[in-house]
Amino acid sequence: MISCKEATDFISRKEEGKLSFRQRWQLWQHLAVCSFCKLFYKQNKIFSNSASHLHEHTNATLSQEQKESLIKALENS
Amino acid sequence: MVQLDAKKWVNNYGDMLYRYALPRVNDGEVAKDLVQDTFLAAWRNYDNFKGEISEKNWLFTILKNKIIDHFRKSSTRLTGNLPGIADSDPYFDEAEHWTSVSAPLDWKTDTDSIIDRKEFYGVLSKCKGMLKEIQNTVFTLKYIDGLESDDICKELNITTSNYWVLIHRAKLQLRACLEKNWFLK
Repeated sequence: MISCKEATDFISRKEEGKLSFRQRWQLWQHLAVCSFCKLFYKQNKIFSNSASHLHEHTNATLSQEQKESLIKALENS
Repeated sequence: MVQLDAKKWVNNYGDMLYRYALPRVNDGEVAKDLVQDTFLAAWRNYDNFKGEISEKNWLFTILKNKIIDHFRKSSTRLTGNLPGIADSDPYFDEAEHWTSVSAPLDWKTDTDSIIDRKEFYGVLSKCKGMLKEIQNTVFTLKYIDGLESDDICKELNITTSNYWVLIHRAKLQLRACLEKNWFLK
């Protein structure tokens, strides 16, 4: 039986198809009995997938000061 | 030489470029500098701009290169900080099982209800910013830019075993941080 540490590592490798048949089997066997790693498996999907949407949800802007210093830098270059 | 209008450029594209850079580098100053370098490079090389793509896409292409250069430089600088096997591990005990304080809790939520929540992204971005810089870099390249691990290792000149340790740690820390600051709030 693989450990929780290994199982959580395997989950990332699995996303890229980097597990051997044996490792995949070991992971499923672990997830079948470990509720913590099963939670990790679900939660990993949530935050890994949402990372690609981060920029759509930011309304950060350059400050007026920063913009003016950018303009100056360009004009002086 | 085409007449260039610095004010127009900065006002039209500044925030757009900044918003692209910021979630990747998680540092407002660094993001601003990358935007500035992008504008300067574009300004100086405007004669090479052929108009085959839009001005906007051209600026984004330059910015993407600036970001990857930044990642490369910081990964060289941080190679000394790569995690060792002997590093203490706050998440797992000696038997490599979850410690009682770090075992995942049920977030009691479905994915769909989260991905529309603006505040969730604020917390995610804050947690991501708390990662070690090199962990943040591999996580960004993998999950924001969608690169494969092999390409990330090549870009950053790290070994695959380093990569898997970094991504593993990054996720354990992100998960714990999100749980504490979002789901248990």
